[in-house]
Amino acid sequence: MSTAVLDPRENFETLARTAGLRGDAHEEAAAERELLVLWLGDDPYAIPVERVREIVRLRPITPIPRVPEAVRGVLSLRGEIVQVIDLRRRLGLAEPERRQGGESERRSERRRVVVLNGEDGQMTGLLVDRVSEVLRLRDDALRPPTAREASTVHALAPHGEHFVSVFDVDRVLDLDGDA
Amino acid sequence: MAARRTRKQARSRAAREFVSEVEEILDRMRADLADLGDARAGGHLDPDLANRLFRSAHSLKGVAGMFGFEGMSELAHHLEDVLDGLRMGRLAPDAPALDLLDEVVELVAGLIEREGDPAGAQADVQTMIGRIHAALDAPPEPSAADAELEGLDASLLRALTEYEEHRLRESLRRGLAIHLVEASFEILSFEEGLSELTRAVREVGEVISTLPAPGDAPDSQIRFSLLVGASVRAEELRSRIDVPGATVHELRPAGAAAAAPATPASVATGEDAAVTDPLAEASRGEGGELESLKSISETVRVDIRKLDELMNLVGELVIQRGALGAIADRLIHDPATAKIGRELGKIHKNFERRLADLQAGVLEVRMVPLRQVFEKLSRVVRRLRRDIGKDVRLEVRGGDTELDKLIVEQLADPLMHVVRNAFDHAIETPAERSAAGKPPEGVIRLDALQRGNHVVIQVCDDGRGIDPAAVLRRAAALGLVEADDSSLTRKQILDLIFAPGLSTADEVTETSGRGVGMDVVRENVNALGGIVHVDSELGRGTTVSFTLPITLAIIQAVLVGVGDQRFAIPLGAVLETLLVDPATIQRSEGREFLNLRGEPLALRRLHAEFELPPPPLGARQAVVVVGLGDARLGVLVDRLEGQQDAVIKPIQGPIRSVRGIAGATELGSQGTVLVIDVAALVEDAAKRREAA
Repeated sequence: MSTAVLDPRENFETLARTAGLRGDAHEEAAAERELLVLWLGDDPYAIPVERVREIVRLRPITPIPRVPEAVRGVLSLRGEIVQVIDLRRRLGLAEPERRQGGESERRSERRRVVVLNGEDGQMTGLLVDRVSEVLRLRDDALRPPTAREASTVHALAPHGEHFVSVFDVDRVLDLDGDA
Repeated sequence: MAARRTRKQARSRAAREFVSEVEEILDRMRADLADLGDARAGGHLDPDLANRLFRSAHSLKGVAGMFGFEGMSELAHHLEDVLDGLRMGRLAPDAPALDLLDEVVELVAGLIEREGDPAGAQADVQTMIGRIHAALDAPPEPSAADAELEGLDASLLRALTEYEEHRLRESLRRGLAIHLVEASFEILSFEEGLSELTRAVREVGEVISTLPAPGDAPDSQIRFSLLVGASVRAEELRSRIDVPGATVHELRPAGAAAAAPATPASVATGEDAAVTDPLAEASRGEGGELESLKSISETVRVDIRKLDELMNLVGELVIQRGALGAIADRLIHDPATAKIGRELGKIHKNFERRLADLQAGVLEVRMVPLRQVFEKLSRVVRRLRRDIGKDVRLEVRGGDTELDKLIVEQLADPLMHVVRNAFDHAIETPAERSAAGKPPEGVIRLDALQRGNHVVIQVCDDGRGIDPAAVLRRAAALGLVEADDSSLTRKQILDLIFAPGLSTADEVTETSGRGVGMDVVRENVNALGGIVHVDSELGRGTTVSFTLPITLAIIQAVLVGVGDQRFAIPLGAVLETLLVDPATIQRSEGREFLNLRGEPLALRRLHAEFELPPPPLGARQAVVVVGLGDARLGVLVDRLEGQQDAVIKPIQGPIRSVRGIAGATELGSQGTVLVIDVAALVEDAAKRREAA
């Protein structure tokens, strides 16, 4: 297991793309995988890097009516209109409590939309608090989630002293099942 | 995993390519077969048509072989045999032969979809091949006597291929005059001259063979002989040919049987000279290949997604243009920069015009005539007529009306559905029709016409019509309405046939058969931003009308504001906009409406539809009056914010569709704006009225 810790000022788009390319190169060595680590408050989560198309800064989102609450709205990505799912709302987590002005500004500065590739070429954005690094590990390092009824997390990945919750992306995107 | 996906994608891309190529070939063959059927009435087979069909079958064989579809390739090979038999005169172009061709083509089409059932498909292919053999083994037409060819130059006859000889006999059989046209061309430009000559000859006859003419010509020239079958005399033929020095010899006058050889009548004389040249061989083709090569190179097949990309680019340019205009305006209004601002303004105006042309051009590329779909429907009706033996005629009008390719494709199924319903259920038996005083043959009419930004397609039949009382009974039985509801108008009752679960068959039209859901038809048409209506008169017939936008891509939109959000409403659906004082809004049973020049206009508040915050009490409101078909609705919004070009994009993501939202558009500095699905709003409003 190795991690590449990134300067938060680093260009995440580049990161995701190169990671994606590496993912391609490594695909035959199925035992190894790469995960993009992202955060909701103080809790780390991860998404298989090959599902990540790019990572963009939070920008104005146009709300849409008549959709589940988890869908924040849409944003435009080089001419394509993409739905953005608020990952906190999707998981039923509380909104972060308001802190002092400077703190909250820093926080919103770090928020990112992780754009995912769908199976059918459709894109979806995931709104997260921040993105930190790409984690590389072997499949046999993965552990099952603690909660049997966990609906969107399908494994825990060791990361130093902690475990990162690894999403089953398709379940995260399935808003009909439970949202 | 990624690589596997890529391979799969590559395979599916190849498969898509294959399917689209085969479908294109089949479409061409179907159109040619239809023409062949029509032309047959004239008593002879159009050789160009037969040759085109033959070439299509040949391409099909090649494509199928390349992609490893052996069954299809084998079938195409035998299809070639049939077509070869036709063009060589070994097989008469009669109804059974044409039906056989129809069936082979449809079997090929079916093979594409039956990849999962290779055994069954193979069995069908073998059965068909058996039938083809049987048809070809039938005793051939008594062939024309060789005597016909007597008197024609033996060296000329020897140069002809079997096919050309057949065409020569065919011309003689039809009593055409046979001419030998000779002309010389500069070697460097002979192709152009020769095809010009061929075109001129074809206006009055058929080029049976193009041969390099013997003799001596200047080195820079090449001489050709064209053996021509024509209905005109040599003089007239010569007068149509605009090649200096060309000669026309009448080898056999029109109407002459295999009588004495006619004296060659020389009309014009030129230098008798020619060279044999390998180039000439290339220009000699069976049945005008020279021309066909050209026609292929004049069209290109384009993946519609590439056009979508172009459309995206144009859309982005449109946004940039808006920004440019705004800057020019700002400069003009500042005295210090007014001069340069005006110059920029001029450039902007020019840019705007060109861009509009570009937009129109890209849009036009996507447009295809409805004929493609109409032809499919004609075939279905022809087949139904044959299989079921019901006397129904399909009349088609407006096949030239053009629509976005994507819409045309999506429209095929709903139209087919409605036409089948008309055929199966609406048209009565001949006995019933006579009893009702109607001609025994039923008529289904397909009509298309453009109306502004929309195309209206109507399917009319002169059948038994829909009984509103029966619809009402059925709807009441399903719990859709109260049985004793007397407030429903006839139109509203007829509209109930689009309700899920209410079939137009059985109970309504009192015939057996599979009456199938019109709800699916409505759903499909709505998904295209269109609406569908039905009108019917008991005993007289039924008309189903589809109203569709011409394109799904770039539209003019009215921007409206609700709270702090903006929406775009397609201008094509907007009849007018007005400002209203909230005090003038009236209510009936809690539903709001407006007195619009003496007519009540139903209102829907957009903020209520979309659960947005309401405007402050008493604030002036704007109404966008939208209409589709004959339905009208006033959409109440907080503000009108002008007009704008908008490129409607689908919204990607896990939520596949949002009722009332047709897509979204990016408007430069104004961010992303949702585009309202007017058809859905109008329909929802109508439903609520009915539900009341």
